[in-house]
Amino acid sequence: MSNKNPLSPHIQIYSWNISLLISISRRITGVINIVALTLVCLWIALLLLGEENYEYIKFFLQSFLGKFFILCLTWSFSFQILSEVRHLFWDFGYGFELITSKITGLIVIFGSLILTILIYLFGKQIF
Amino acid sequence: MINATKKWIFLKVSSIILIPLMVWFIINLVLIYDKGYVDIVNFFSTQPSKFLTSLLMIVAFFYSSLSISAIFEDYIHDEKIKNVATKALTVFAIIIPLITVIIIFNLTI
Repeated sequence: MSNKNPLSPHIQIYSWNISLLISISRRITGVINIVALTLVCLWIALLLLGEENYEYIKFFLQSFLGKFFILCLTWSFSFQILSEVRHLFWDFGYGFELITSKITGLIVIFGSLILTILIYLFGKQIF
Repeated sequence: MINATKKWIFLKVSSIILIPLMVWFIINLVLIYDKGYVDIVNFFSTQPSKFLTSLLMIVAFFYSSLSISAIFEDYIHDEKIKNVATKALTVFAIIIPLITVIIIFNLTI
């Protein structure tokens, strides 16, 4: 028998605000991160093929596309980390006020961009 | 304790473990991704990265299977498809980290 229960309104029906943007981005980056971690698992598995075969992967990772992939992954991880910390504060009962929620939302958005730059510069040993 | 409460506790505990592991991993990934074969095998086959990468994979896939199943709850309305998708996700979240951990513990130059 088909389910005739009414569905909740879809995302398109709501007007956009910071909380909605963070919420949907958190889900999207969560899926991106697990796909990326699956690729990292594949990368680790390909190490078994030996040094000669690894040259192809090294070529990709040293290319512009490879660097862009790592940079995007760094942002996706940074976004997930900051929004996860925001959620943990909510779980302990802090940050529910509308203004606080907006401020922490902005911290997640801009903080993830700053964190991406810092991690990339630190990883490249620029400082 | 009801299932939803257990699921919430598992999500929060795995999230607390995952945050420092993600910070550690992404910094090290940026450090090593464009290095040569020997450097990368050395990274994954020596401690503490051997243990921390294995732990990251196990916890990340566990956390993701719980959170993606919540997305399935919201967006898949056919019960049969939802059950199959959730079971496939669980199998995926067990097999991928398991194989990866076995590979990491067998990596040598």
